[in-house]
Amino acid sequence: MSTLKLRSEPPERIDLLGIDPLALSKLSEVDAARIPVGTSRRGLTLGDVFSVTLDGSDSLVIEGGSSRLDRVGASLSQGSICVEGDVGQRLGAGMAGGKLTVTGSAGPFAASGATGGTITIEGDAGDHAGGAVYAAKAGLDGATLIIRGTAGDRLGDRMRRGIILVEKAGARVGTRMIAGTIVAGAIGVEPGYGMRRGTIVAGSHGSLLPTFAETGTPDLVFLRLLARSLTALGAKHADLLKGSMRRYSGDLATLGKGEFFTPAG
Amino acid sequence: MAAWVKGDAADTDAAVEAAAALLAAARMPVFAGLCADVAAVRAAYRLADRIGASLDPVAGPGLYAELGSLSAGGALTTTAPETLGRADTVLVVGSRPWDGDLVSEIADTKPVRGLSAGDERTVLALGGPRNGTSRHVAYGIGNVGLDVAIGHLRAFVRGHLAGEAAFGDLAQKLASAKFGVVIYDAGEIGEAGVDMLQGLLKDLNEKTRFFALGLADPFQGRSVLQLAAWTTGQAPRVGFGRHLPEHDPWRFDSARQVADGEADAALWLAALPAPRPDWLVQFPAIAIVGEDSADARPDTAEIVITVGVPGSSAGGAVWNERRGVIGYVPASGNAVAATAAGVIAGISQKIAEKGASC
Repeated sequence: MSTLKLRSEPPERIDLLGIDPLALSKLSEVDAARIPVGTSRRGLTLGDVFSVTLDGSDSLVIEGGSSRLDRVGASLSQGSICVEGDVGQRLGAGMAGGKLTVTGSAGPFAASGATGGTITIEGDAGDHAGGAVYAAKAGLDGATLIIRGTAGDRLGDRMRRGIILVEKAGARVGTRMIAGTIVAGAIGVEPGYGMRRGTIVAGSHGSLLPTFAETGTPDLVFLRLLARSLTALGAKHADLLKGSMRRYSGDLATLGKGEFFTPAG
Repeated sequence: MAAWVKGDAADTDAAVEAAAALLAAARMPVFAGLCADVAAVRAAYRLADRIGASLDPVAGPGLYAELGSLSAGGALTTTAPETLGRADTVLVVGSRPWDGDLVSEIADTKPVRGLSAGDERTVLALGGPRNGTSRHVAYGIGNVGLDVAIGHLRAFVRGHLAGEAAFGDLAQKLASAKFGVVIYDAGEIGEAGVDMLQGLLKDLNEKTRFFALGLADPFQGRSVLQLAAWTTGQAPRVGFGRHLPEHDPWRFDSARQVADGEADAALWLAALPAPRPDWLVQFPAIAIVGEDSADARPDTAEIVITVGVPGSSAGGAVWNERRGVIGYVPASGNAVAATAAGVIAGISQKIAEKGASC
């Protein structure tokens, strides 16, 4: 297990794109410490910010987090990264595979454009988790994102593929959703604004848009299959689907092929 | 010309010297405002490149509401002259378009070109102020936001919702247009609203012609946007910390940078009037403001330098909203000695003389 131990709170935002177990396994500790990670003219290197201990394994632990650590695990394609603390924006953005875990909270745009692997945030996530960054066509794009705490607004904005599990989320979950699945314990107002396809499931929710139409409480095989697939990721979320669910169809402003499920009781 | 350093009156050279010292010592300076003529904003981008600063125009929220949608899905747009010349149906969304004189001019005239030439023009309003100053048919939106109302209307236009509801009537009027235009302010309806509006226009263009006329912000945002594009190849919120222009609307949001303690010095550029951020007073900052403006005071910032105001006490290239282009405006009165571009160039020269880390 390789280790990056944070020396102190970074004086500027740190960009950790390219810092993953595979890349570090090819470097000596001295060479790794020379990798530029700063974002100002001061030219901070990995060694300036972290004490670096490498063993060539496919597992990396970042001891000590900071909301200034951006793009942690953004290049991960295999192996695992665990951050013991918080991270900044774009956690796991564009990640293709492997396992990424944050014990603290994450900034905005977590898992944006991630095509594979599993990203777990034990704390809270900022706005646009699983959402698209500026000029991107899609947000989450095939990976699995699990948020144990509370996500901000616009969770899954322009999400195209994959699954998001979240305990609680803010307003407009699944905005402009292209496809994929979001399962939440509770969400805020106006879920699914502009969604074209995809599935949102929520234990409770704020006000719905006038462009979502109730379509009854159908007994769908799909929901039982979804519950079964979710069991390994979050038993509580799977249990949510075991009762009778009321279905809404939307967003009728767009294609209207999305669906929103919430307990019928 | 007036200048102040830490509240004390100073000559412009001394203030420029102090500004250079402040910026040269900073790790992550931010340049905000950028409400000025093209030459001044260009000088700001050059100085930012030299010292590794980031830039964020005061027009940012409105600009990015438009750009976010444009960058992801494109846009169907037109201009004010085309609207006046061709449109037989105009939908005014929200309150802000009613602030200027464009809507009343549209309401008082008829199209003179194209398929609608000579027809009566229909002016429709969605969520407007209902002030009755111009001829129009108003459609209320109740308690929902403008972006939700646009989505609701779009559902009727697509035929996914139907009935006698007011939006059904409005959807029919839009669909029967020969040349339609929607006027809106991106800052008022937000990125989601712009995105939904462009979707509505694409739906309408399946059967007729309908375009968007987004109004420019009053803080030179569109001018800054063009300058940033030709200077950096990016939209305005860029940082030069890594010796190349990096675009990141979240990271280089100046208010966030200050609130999160990332920025350690600021340059506020407002040769033309712009709302000064609250943080400026308590922050190591330089304010370059128009002479005789409300912010031309010693307590506006640590260092305050007054400059000529484009179109008033200085000439300069600024945004012309009616024509939708950057155009030169001469000084209407006596031109003052110092321009914002000259002051920023002076700061840059002083920093170069100091040999600051660049």
